[in-house]
Amino acid sequence: MTSMQSVPVAQGLFTTQDGEVRLIGTHCRSCNTSYFPQALSCRNPLCRDKHIEETLLGPHGTLYSYTRQTYQPPALFRMDHWEPYVIGLIELPQGIRVMGMLTACEPDTLRIGMAVELTAQALYHDEEGREVLTYKFKPVHTSAAQAPTHSGAIA
Amino acid sequence: MRPVYVLGVGAHPWGKFPNKPQLQLALDAMGLALKDANLEWNDLQALVAASSRFEGGMGWGLHANEIVQAVAEKGIPATNVGGGCAAGGIAVHSAFSMIASGQCEVAAAVGAERMPKGFIPRPPGIPNDITDSDYLRWVAMGATNPAYWALETRRRMHDFGTTEETLAQASVLMHHNAVANPLARYRKECTVAEVLASPVVSDPLHILEICAVSDGAAAVVLGSEEQARKRGGPMVQVAGCAIATGQFGDPAVRIPTVSMAAGHSTPHTSEVVGAVHAAYAMAGVEPKDIDLVELADNTAWHVLAWPEFFGFFEPGQSDWMLRKGEMAIDGRLPVNPSGGFLSFGEATTAQGVLQVCEIAWQLRGQAEGRQVQGARLGMTAVLGLGANGASVILKT
Repeated sequence: MTSMQSVPVAQGLFTTQDGEVRLIGTHCRSCNTSYFPQALSCRNPLCRDKHIEETLLGPHGTLYSYTRQTYQPPALFRMDHWEPYVIGLIELPQGIRVMGMLTACEPDTLRIGMAVELTAQALYHDEEGREVLTYKFKPVHTSAAQAPTHSGAIA
Repeated sequence: MRPVYVLGVGAHPWGKFPNKPQLQLALDAMGLALKDANLEWNDLQALVAASSRFEGGMGWGLHANEIVQAVAEKGIPATNVGGGCAAGGIAVHSAFSMIASGQCEVAAAVGAERMPKGFIPRPPGIPNDITDSDYLRWVAMGATNPAYWALETRRRMHDFGTTEETLAQASVLMHHNAVANPLARYRKECTVAEVLASPVVSDPLHILEICAVSDGAAAVVLGSEEQARKRGGPMVQVAGCAIATGQFGDPAVRIPTVSMAAGHSTPHTSEVVGAVHAAYAMAGVEPKDIDLVELADNTAWHVLAWPEFFGFFEPGQSDWMLRKGEMAIDGRLPVNPSGGFLSFGEATTAQGVLQVCEIAWQLRGQAEGRQVQGARLGMTAVLGLGANGASVILKT
């Protein structure tokens, strides 16, 4: 495999620095609320100062719910080889739940409450041949819990 | 505020009408509602249109002025309101407010929609960046609307042990109710086995547990007490009428966002629960006083979850109530005697208006074949994209 250039599906969404995938969110220092994606302001009506700053969310969380989509979503969503996939709702320790695709899992093995972690994977190749990456979550296998999080899927 | 009454209601059947312009659908529904009110177009003093991005007007959806111009051009105030599927409820609220404030004696709300086929795509003309969550949800994960409800459904199964059979049973009840409703698009009984054998769209939800998209139109004419007495017949009063938006900390998987706060005590789908509670307060009633409810059953999950959120049942109790027949037309709380969205298919802006029509027919004893016996107090509840909610309570 030759090294391939890769780009995220959207700017400012996630970071893969040091091989660890984290979501780029916003944290309100005044009321300790986290947001994803980045927010323009704190939305808490009781929060007056709304002192917000960029924050990184993840990489670990637990599966709160999930569904397997069996119909192809409309255009704007792109995937090189479309096939049904799972979308999960993941609870992160920062008091926030985040939706994202799940990977490296069989739907039958999914259990609410199981540990998952962030990864980044190619959705499709764009017109310039670049891999277009999105963030996904994958199960954390207890036997491999110490394995580096960038193993496998990251380009 | 002065009392407001329902003078007339009317609706065009739901279905697919590619050869009938949206304006014609609106005129048909308005014509029926005015006739029901014993009024002429010339008697109308204000019109509110429930508008969506799908079709109509100058690109801003159903256009009240265009409707007026087509039949009775005489300078009356014409308002267009948005709010996704809640737009119909919001339009009724606007018309209600004009009567209640004394601005006019007769005002109507109308919704008319011809929906595009299939999944509802993203509207044009908005920025392609992460400040727009409706962009992000598509490019980052392709999350369709049914996927959002499916996440809620799976979680309910986890929390309360709701079974696939119970979810299917909710759909079976909605289709059963619709058999007697000439306005419904799907009027055929179905069985739990048929629902479970229908294609899975986003598991655990099958296609027969998710509302289709339809064309349709509905109108409500409201007026003062003097106007209601002039019309004669049963006096149907708008006892409660409220709109609301979402609240911070709402745990719902809100379309089209991709995250939500965890760990707050905010009500689930707070935009609707907030409107329902405001309507209860205005009407001075409690959940136990309500004889029937028309709620926006975008999926079978809504049929189970929402009666609990609205205070009719304890959390997790709906499954048992449904299986015992307590949500049927002769049950403790009839849910969607009309057949609901699952039997109509969703004609977005018209849906919230149609709910009010159904309650009016029920309270007048005109819901032939699906009549809730002795209904005196009925409620609607509808949710619209973008965290909009509306609720109307009618009483006789």
